[in-house]
Amino acid sequence: MSAGSEPIVAPRSALGELRLVLRQVGYEQLTFWLNPVGAIFTVGFSVLFVVMLGASAGSSRVSYLHNVKLVQYYVPGFIAYGVMSAAFNNLAISVVIRRESGLLKRLRLSPLPTWTLLSSILLSTLLIAFAQVVLLLAVGRWAFGVHPPAGASGIAALIVVLVLGGLSFAALGIAMSTLIPNQQAAGPLTSTVFFVLLFLSGLWFPLKSGSTLAKISTFFPIRHFITAVFRTFSHPGASAWAGSDLLIVVIWGAVAAAVALRRFQWAPLRT
Amino acid sequence: MPAVSVRGLVRSYGSVRAVDGVSFEVEAGEVFALLGPNGAGKTTTIEILEGFRGRDAGDVRVLGIDPGDRRSGQQLRSQLGVVLQELAVEPFLSVRQVLRRNAGYYPAPRGVDEVIGLIGLEEKADAKVKTLSGGQQRRLDVGLGIVGNPALLFLDEPTTGLDPAGRRTSWELVRKLASEGTTVMLTTHYMDEAEALADQVAIIASGRIVAQGPPASLGGRDQGAATIRFRLPDGVTLPDLPAEVTANEQSVQLRTDRELELLYELSRWALEHDVRISGLTVSRHTLEDVYLQLTGGDAERFQSESTAGEPAPA
Repeated sequence: MSAGSEPIVAPRSALGELRLVLRQVGYEQLTFWLNPVGAIFTVGFSVLFVVMLGASAGSSRVSYLHNVKLVQYYVPGFIAYGVMSAAFNNLAISVVIRRESGLLKRLRLSPLPTWTLLSSILLSTLLIAFAQVVLLLAVGRWAFGVHPPAGASGIAALIVVLVLGGLSFAALGIAMSTLIPNQQAAGPLTSTVFFVLLFLSGLWFPLKSGSTLAKISTFFPIRHFITAVFRTFSHPGASAWAGSDLLIVVIWGAVAAAVALRRFQWAPLRT
Repeated sequence: MPAVSVRGLVRSYGSVRAVDGVSFEVEAGEVFALLGPNGAGKTTTIEILEGFRGRDAGDVRVLGIDPGDRRSGQQLRSQLGVVLQELAVEPFLSVRQVLRRNAGYYPAPRGVDEVIGLIGLEEKADAKVKTLSGGQQRRLDVGLGIVGNPALLFLDEPTTGLDPAGRRTSWELVRKLASEGTTVMLTTHYMDEAEALADQVAIIASGRIVAQGPPASLGGRDQGAATIRFRLPDGVTLPDLPAEVTANEQSVQLRTDRELELLYELSRWALEHDVRISGLTVSRHTLEDVYLQLTGGDAERFQSESTAGEPAPA
């Protein structure tokens, strides 16, 4: 078709592709951390919640949840929250802002391959989530004596749950962004959906199984994700895997990815 | 091979034909302006050439590549520079960081410092983008358009919202790029911009090209009647002259297609009767006259009378 012009872009080697992704991840990270309000709001919130709730919970226990101390629920709970706030809340809002300000369109018109941009954004999101997880594990361990999952299988379970959960909620975040018409609506809409579902899912107060809220929250992915993270803390060894909960999260993620692929727009919607 | 070649381009949104049979060519090294009112189809045309938007019909080649062919999309985009209508710059990175990031997307980019010099942002190189003035951000936007050292640069309304000094700076930059061999295709609704920058202008209205040619002869403005304007002292009346005469409080206007002879008559009369004539000008259609005639109320009539896209006399 394009006779008469020699390709001037030689196909990149796998190493070259990887370097391009890592380079873009670096700039994604720079863009995130150089915005102090966004960085503190996303990363600081989860730590603040755990410190406040952990301190006020004292030594109270949850009789209907293996009689664990409340703070032993809060640390994994807010690790899940941290991942979701980076992958769902922050990603949905930042995609809307980048789309509506023309940044996505400009990237689309550059020779940066789409898959490079997408994988960089996902990797960068996981890194932001990972920073919170590390902070929360440290606060939980040293301030509240909550021990992180131990042993190879416990750690592996935690990592797999967080990565699959992170990717699933990132897909939900991008799907969410396609439903938001403009920058002004991005924060309020996303946060309202997020915090209402968090409340329904018993992040602040563990739900009694069989209660109305527990039944409602079964339909949504958030409670399943919290449960999957909690299980890696509360069940050592091979039983650390909450397979069905994780499966439901991943199914939500897959459906969201299909919606995102179908509805995604590069150009501002307002024009 | 022309840098851009478009034949019978059509793109509809619903029942509206936003681009309705547009044809033109942009030669390599040329500055080409697509001039037209808002909603005329300028941006849609540019977006099709950039490969951002699909087309319904027509044959399009940009640097020899069909922009609708996704397989060669990356090859095309690595040779294009794009400056969008809306400002699109990361607020929290510095000027240098943004330029360095984007330079890395291209196979043979310009040096970051060279670009900073070209857009005149040396003093602000390490400042965060959000601390720049609107005009400075616009210049950075242009810098991002040229950092890949493009063979073809698209500028979609590059000076909308700039103050007069900022416009002049942008014009200088476009001229400099053009003199270095970059092909530039710009859209604008400023007549003076098209006249100052473009080698070729196409006027587009309601999705059709209604006139095309070098700005000096567009719409036949180098031919046909001229207008002679001047002021007379109070109480003096003109003799009979072979021209269409109109007068208002500021000036007298004579329309003629034989301006040299008329000026001779006028001068002789003025010298013989010792009449002081002041503020004398001779002009043909301004580009604005042509533009308004072609895109304004008369556009419909003009379209039906002339074949759309018919080249103006060169």
